[in-house]
Amino acid sequence: MSAPARSLISPAQLSKWRGKIIYWTLFWLTVVVFTLVFIGPLYWMVTGGFKSTQEVIQTPPTLFPHHPQTSAYSTAWKRLNMAQLLFNTLYYAGGALLLQLIFGVAAAYALSKLRPIMGNVVLGLMLATLMVPAAVLVIPQYVTVVDVPIVHVNLLNSPWAIWLPSVANAFNIFLLKRFFDSIPEELVQAAQIDGAGPLRTLWSIILPISRPILGVVSIFAVIGVWKDFLWPLLTMQDPAKQTLNVGVNNLSIGVQQDVLIAGLTIASIPAIVFFLLFQRSIMAGLTSGALKG
Amino acid sequence: MIRTRAAVVVLAAVAVAAAACGGSSDKKSGDASASPSFNPVLDKNAKVTISIDCAPAANKPVETKQWTDDIAAFHQIYPNVTINSKPMSKCEDPAPFTAQLKGHTETDVFYTYFTDKNQVLDSGEAADITKYVTPQTVTNLKDIQPAILDINRDNGKLYALPRTNYTMGLVYDRAVFKKAGLNPDQPPTTWADIATDAAAIAKLGGGVNGYADYSANNVGGWHFTAELYGLGGRMVSQDGTKAAFNTDQGKQVLQNLYDMRWKTGGIGSTQMIKWGDPQAAMAAGKLGMYIGAPDDITYMVQTLKGKAADFGMAPMPGGQGALVGGDDYYFKKTDTPDQIKAGIAWINFKLLTPGKGQFQYDRNKTGGLPVGLPEPEFFIQGSPSQKADDANKQASATLPIANFQPFLAVSPTPVVEPPAAQEIYKVLDNAMSAVLTDKNADIPKLLSKAETDVNTVLANQ
Amino acid sequence: MTDILESRPAVAVSRGKPRARRRGRARRSLQGYLFLLGAVLCFALFSWYPMVREFIMAFQRTKRGRTTWVGWDNLHRIMADPAFWQAWRNTVTFTVLALILGFAVPFFVAVLLNEFRHGQAYLRILVFLPVMLPQVASALLFRYFYDPKYGLFNQILHFFQLPGSAWLSSKDTALLSVVIAATWMNMGSATLIYLAALQGIPGELYEAAELDGAGLWRRIWHVTIPQTRMILSLMLLLQVVATMQMFTEAYMLTGGSGPQGSTLTVVYLIYNYAFNFNNFGSAAALGVVMLLVLGAFSGVYLWLERRVKEA
Repeated sequence: MSAPARSLISPAQLSKWRGKIIYWTLFWLTVVVFTLVFIGPLYWMVTGGFKSTQEVIQTPPTLFPHHPQTSAYSTAWKRLNMAQLLFNTLYYAGGALLLQLIFGVAAAYALSKLRPIMGNVVLGLMLATLMVPAAVLVIPQYVTVVDVPIVHVNLLNSPWAIWLPSVANAFNIFLLKRFFDSIPEELVQAAQIDGAGPLRTLWSIILPISRPILGVVSIFAVIGVWKDFLWPLLTMQDPAKQTLNVGVNNLSIGVQQDVLIAGLTIASIPAIVFFLLFQRSIMAGLTSGALKG
Repeated sequence: MIRTRAAVVVLAAVAVAAAACGGSSDKKSGDASASPSFNPVLDKNAKVTISIDCAPAANKPVETKQWTDDIAAFHQIYPNVTINSKPMSKCEDPAPFTAQLKGHTETDVFYTYFTDKNQVLDSGEAADITKYVTPQTVTNLKDIQPAILDINRDNGKLYALPRTNYTMGLVYDRAVFKKAGLNPDQPPTTWADIATDAAAIAKLGGGVNGYADYSANNVGGWHFTAELYGLGGRMVSQDGTKAAFNTDQGKQVLQNLYDMRWKTGGIGSTQMIKWGDPQAAMAAGKLGMYIGAPDDITYMVQTLKGKAADFGMAPMPGGQGALVGGDDYYFKKTDTPDQIKAGIAWINFKLLTPGKGQFQYDRNKTGGLPVGLPEPEFFIQGSPSQKADDANKQASATLPIANFQPFLAVSPTPVVEPPAAQEIYKVLDNAMSAVLTDKNADIPKLLSKAETDVNTVLANQ
Repeated sequence: MTDILESRPAVAVSRGKPRARRRGRARRSLQGYLFLLGAVLCFALFSWYPMVREFIMAFQRTKRGRTTWVGWDNLHRIMADPAFWQAWRNTVTFTVLALILGFAVPFFVAVLLNEFRHGQAYLRILVFLPVMLPQVASALLFRYFYDPKYGLFNQILHFFQLPGSAWLSSKDTALLSVVIAATWMNMGSATLIYLAALQGIPGELYEAAELDGAGLWRRIWHVTIPQTRMILSLMLLLQVVATMQMFTEAYMLTGGSGPQGSTLTVVYLIYNYAFNFNNFGSAAALGVVMLLVLGAFSGVYLWLERRVKEA
């Protein structure tokens, strides 16, 4: 890492006595407030799973479970069929990520560098899809998935029902295109002069320096599938194929409060672990000036 | 000779024509008028496969075992029928239900609520089963209340068979009553009594509320309707074109709730309650009473692990009318006649025969499921089926049947839901939430606005 | 500086190009379409085709299995629905509130976080955690916090001798409560994006500003904001478009309508029409209305933006 970049406050100011006091006060205040605001609720959720039903809905609430018990967690684990749901969701998210990286990047590259005729029309049509509420589109999409035009296949309960529509992600394609736009034309031209075709240019020139935006788009792609509720509810009705979000929601009607909270905690863990594992590389990518104005 | 041969030819032609007619009417799925050879009873040599939903899900192991046992028993009677069950933890969800109707992906025999009739018929997905439902195929047909069957009729044609039904009443917690010094065997039957008892219960403190009511997700309006019926009112006029609830009874429904919320303290300050919340509170001993159906008790005992002896039911306050609801099975339009026959045979076995299927109480008892609830009750009072069912219930009761005596003692007129029910309920949600959350709620104004809105809804039908 | 929708390549494309260049352009177009093929196919099948079907459904009505054309009738009906105007009022209020909270707050949080030389990783994780939670979990948490009698927030307020609030249970505070919860749930992603943008601002600009005697706020106004203008304006547009379509938060917190319909949004109305009232024509018509409104908004926004840039 190079020397810390100069930002709003100058290092000179910070090395002064007064600057130091303000800095550290503000810092610790922020840490405490943020911990309370962002972790506090999670703490309540985690400990709630250890309480009994009575204690969980008790008012005023208890800070620490009186008689910690793991029965809620074990019941929730069994009821949730967590392993299956987790595998399904990871499988769907992974496939969607892969397809978006392949086809989304290709599309953004074409729109940005290859610039076919009517490319702007295509981009405009893609962006227009962001303006239609999902609730309304979901039924025609479902009917399409049940009987895909031309090929006449039924995609219900197959991962393709999630993977293929996920490629139609205008937001990600747009982010990619904008980033590619900011890549200097000289690099591309240099490659062309060297005789590289568009594929080689993409692979050897564009992609290596696009790691930051690829990281961002990857996060959004995975989160998009992970948090999706309505679509998997409709298309993955087979309990063996359901996603985590849908499974957890089914749980919420039909169990006691403490089991529900335990179940929600369990369902939240994979997401948090995933982020903890990848946040460093994601942030490292993000901070190399990828998104400057 | 020639005449004989001609006769043979003519006879053959007639036979071929008859067979052709019979054959073609068999090919048209359940639509053609009955040909002379139509037999509603399933031929035991015809191999049939049907899919059916609302089978118990993995989170209900006892019911799942019962279902599989029943399928095996049914298979003994009809070895030619294969049943593919679709387990569901929630038998109907509005979004998937709508999507499936549009995408023609529902099961061959599919579950709906009574109130879904218009949606199902509008979608064109329902098969007309009138000619398939006879005393031969539904053994206790004559004992089923005609009013219940009528719910599933449209223009004289029958489209579905009932699965369960309920009438609403007041669900109350006997243990909480005792703690508050009230007599659990004499639950309140009028709103004035409810208010007094709720206030007494609220005095217990510790987060215990006397009464709770819904105000979100269209359920608030549903309860307004139920409570209005209890007082003898109606939501719409006889011909279904105008709102009819802006009356003294309508005002009384809202006033009762308003008073309990802001004056006598029987209702707590947590609002925007939806289905599931009062049940959870009562199962944890934090609620005295609420309006509900008997199967809420099953939910509270089985799923929420409440104590069965604690729950009782009283009649709908006012006792003049009670909202009926229930669920049923429809048949997909594209089913073959054999599939319809097989589906009816299964439903008859599993759902409509005392002593079998859902009415087999001894195995409920051994499985730990509650027995003794006053539902379903779609047999005619005094009929042989109903007497047999009552006897079975008594023999295997796990709930103190006496707890439901107050509910059974009063027989309010059963009233069905109004047309465009969901839209009307949504309008009334506003009025319900207003009296429960706004101290300055103006009841006459709320009702007139609701009346105008409902008239708009009805005009648009 | 690149424009939002278009970018002009550094090398100008001249008109009247020689044949070789025209052929090159055509070949590049073909290659372009090949690269676009996968995405365009998916869009065509799963976005554009359904959009066309939805558009058609907006002019139809289905009764007893028969679908008939009703022209503008669905549009008239939804506009005659008393909930229509309330839903739009709520949606616009919700969007404005959500912008103030969901746009300004993440930006200033990012500015703050950017200054810290320590613990950035920890703070970044904290901010992003809520985004990773299932919405059911967050909704349950907030419903508990917002309970008027026993919820955590009112307890804290009482501790400081402040009066409690009705939060979700009153028509005056319900919408704001939903916005606060939605901000908590979603601000992490915006914060991270702004953080990344901020780290691309050259330090010399701040030095220069400081040498010019600019105080803290003036530095933010004259350096930070202009430098991130592109990202800010892009995020603003995207957030308005996304917030107007927010559904899950309100639905899970108040059941959709809220006390006296105070949290009723246009998208919830669509959901109600489509799935509870089985009135797909009205749902589609309302969807078309929303598409037109958002399209018009985006068009005006981008046009204004270009004007400001040219000024």
